[in-house]
Amino acid sequence: MSTDAPVSTVSFAPVLERKFAGRARPEASGRGDVPTISVDPASLHDVALFLRDDPSTRFDLLLDVASIDRSKLPAEQLPRDGKRFQASYILYSTRRNEHLRVKAAVPEARPSLPSLVDVWPAANWFEREAWDLMGIDFENHPNQKRLLTHNGFVGHALRKDYEAGQRWLCTEEDILQTDLASKTETAEDAFETMTLNFGPSHPATHGTLRAVFRLDGETIVAAEGECGYLHRCFEKMSESHTYSQVIPYTDRLNYCSPMINGNGYARAVEQMLGVEIPPRARAVRVILSEFSRIMDHLVCIAANLVDIGALTNFWFLFQAREEIYGLLEACCGARLTSSYARIGGLSNDVPENFVEWSRRLLVEVKKQVDEVDRLVSRNGIAMKRLRGTGLVTKENAIAWGFTGPCLRASGVPYDLRKDKPYDGYETYDFDIPVMNDGDNYSRYYVRMEEMRQSARIIEQGLSRLPSGPVNSDDYRVVLPPKEMVYNEMEGLIYHFKLVFEGIQVPAGEIYSSTEGANGELGYSIVSDGSGRPYRIKVRPPCFPLFAAFEKMVVGGMVSDAVATLGLLNIIAGELDR
Amino acid sequence: MPAKAVTLTVPELTFWERIYLVEVAKGLFRTMSHLLRNLLPTLKTDAYALFGKLPPAGERSIPTIYYPEEKRNYSNRFRGRHILKKRADDTLRCVACYMCQTACPADCIDIVAGEHPVLAYEKYPVKFEIDLLRCVMCGFCVDACPKDAIWMTRDYELSFFDRKSAVYGIPELTEKPGDTAEGGPGYGYRPYYGASPMRKAGEFQPSGLALMPFLDLRNKAINRMPAPAAPPAAPPAAKPAA
Ligand code: SF4
Ligand code: SF4
Repeated sequence: MSTDAPVSTVSFAPVLERKFAGRARPEASGRGDVPTISVDPASLHDVALFLRDDPSTRFDLLLDVASIDRSKLPAEQLPRDGKRFQASYILYSTRRNEHLRVKAAVPEARPSLPSLVDVWPAANWFEREAWDLMGIDFENHPNQKRLLTHNGFVGHALRKDYEAGQRWLCTEEDILQTDLASKTETAEDAFETMTLNFGPSHPATHGTLRAVFRLDGETIVAAEGECGYLHRCFEKMSESHTYSQVIPYTDRLNYCSPMINGNGYARAVEQMLGVEIPPRARAVRVILSEFSRIMDHLVCIAANLVDIGALTNFWFLFQAREEIYGLLEACCGARLTSSYARIGGLSNDVPENFVEWSRRLLVEVKKQVDEVDRLVSRNGIAMKRLRGTGLVTKENAIAWGFTGPCLRASGVPYDLRKDKPYDGYETYDFDIPVMNDGDNYSRYYVRMEEMRQSARIIEQGLSRLPSGPVNSDDYRVVLPPKEMVYNEMEGLIYHFKLVFEGIQVPAGEIYSSTEGANGELGYSIVSDGSGRPYRIKVRPPCFPLFAAFEKMVVGGMVSDAVATLGLLNIIAGELDR
Repeated sequence: MPAKAVTLTVPELTFWERIYLVEVAKGLFRTMSHLLRNLLPTLKTDAYALFGKLPPAGERSIPTIYYPEEKRNYSNRFRGRHILKKRADDTLRCVACYMCQTACPADCIDIVAGEHPVLAYEKYPVKFEIDLLRCVMCGFCVDACPKDAIWMTRDYELSFFDRKSAVYGIPELTEKPGDTAEGGPGYGYRPYYGASPMRKAGEFQPSGLALMPFLDLRNKAINRMPAPAAPPAAPPAAKPAA
């Protein structure tokens, strides 16, 4: 663990100083963290506009709004301004390839911030979430109500004084009273339109999501999405677990590609610790992440093709996925709940026949993908169903906070593996497929191509898989080898310390992002220097996607909404956390 | 902007593809070929099934597994039901140190320690329970054990009629010959013995960590331990497991 002092890395600091002298200041950010500025709540809206529009900033993509309750920090870290809550807006500039965190602190007495929905429409649901779970009030928010919890919920769950384990009764009214459903009764056009409830357990939602449509004939005139049915309090729970104990929870975020979540989480903590993992572990993480990405795309495409009536492909693609699960299980011991990553490496070395097995598997997977490609990509019906539906323009995709394949299908070539390479992705030769149409077909086609690119990465990774250990040698982070634990006092002490106290992560903050199968998977972690995370906020890639769903489907038909939902690939596990 | 973004274009359909009929035939041919390739061996399967048998794996082209007659082969890292390992003298290796209980993210291990009559063993678990309904099968308990006392098997067929029977105690958890016998689940996830090449090359340094005085550490650990229930009335035989 090096001791390099935190420095400010804000590139536009002089401009900021000139425009907002004193009201917005660059802050020092820790190792591996993104540049940070802190802003007075009163000027937040102006600063936001400046950040979005000024040529020296151009932060057009709002990635996340993380909130934190700082009241239980240890005395020496308590905020000097005495303000209890703080919101951190994570921004990205697609033109300048730069991340930025904007912090705004608010006092307990009046925890309110101006809403930034008019600056970045993506802020809508993120702010709703921050209000729901942290109780930060956003002035002028168009629709500030509960998002992940239900209307019968009392309190704000992520506040430090909220006691976990309380139960609140959710009555039928709490669920059914969406504005949309009630409006139809009173609106003037109630005579012409009808309300259609879709989900939360509808086969085409592929998870527990809910949407309510108002229909005029078969055309959707208004829609509202609702999530939270699979909310498992991941963020609250992680505050009472050690850093390692959070790993099994991450498997359940995007359960179609669990390895990527675990790897991303472990990397975030490693960055905070300043721990380097050995090259073999990095290569294995890349290979298995790419296998997971293929798996995720397979599920997305297979399930979506079922929705639009092409059942056969499902069998072809799921066989490939099934076989990949076999490989993952041989590495980590479980098909889905992988928990393979450890902070500082992996739980185990890959099996002996890993390279050979993966190579054989890759041939099979590519065969199945090609088969589906031949059946679907040039199929007239599929084209009619997918082309021109669920349109998202480039500008909208950015404004709504899209990332991943959905953003690339709208013509923005943003991929963290290229733009902010991690785990050695810069040494692999692969392309980022992009399409300009922004319709469902693009989202399908980009995913097909991404699977081939992932296969390329895997091949390269396999051909130069380094030998050596898969765990760091830093026994303050990684459990020492068992021979040491069984035979030597020193090994046992390290082991003891790690198990009983957990990994001691130095106090600080990080935003670490990984290219998940669905887009940018971000972990905002705040450490108070103890063995347990003070706060973890996950930026789930499909959260802004589902938030935009209600805007995308308006004007289309219900059957197109189903195709759109499928190709956005909403995974309830990471949507609701 | 990344150096290598390739812009894909929507494939243009040819005339024949647009009128569709030819494509229907081609598509049908493709799916039919799969069907036929699967059908023949399936018929064979049916023939076997008439005699209540399963066809040998090599004679099938479909990947379906005929569960429960046939089971998927899992690797020897599979995380299934736990077992408690025994010493050569048939006592449990576990010394009731509470490490697995502390490491468990699901909080599902419940241990009560007792004094072992064999002095060298110091302690043993009077009670060792895993609530398998809470367990997330993460294997952290295996990693945490300093005595190589808890492993996992490949047994994944865990179903219960009531919650109580899902709580496995020492009798259920103790390793039995059937666990590794022919047809048994076999060992699954085990502690990772790992390698520390730096250490082997003599390069291992404790990297500046202020080692906690060992006593202090012990106190801390002991504080977390619940007081053992009443000491066992009669010292159990050398075999604590019933
Ligand atoms: S496998 Fe994980 S959840 Fe289950 S008992 Fe062990 S540590 Fe606990
Ligand atoms: S960690 Fe091992 S020795 Fe300690 S209580 Fe658990 S099983 Fe027993």
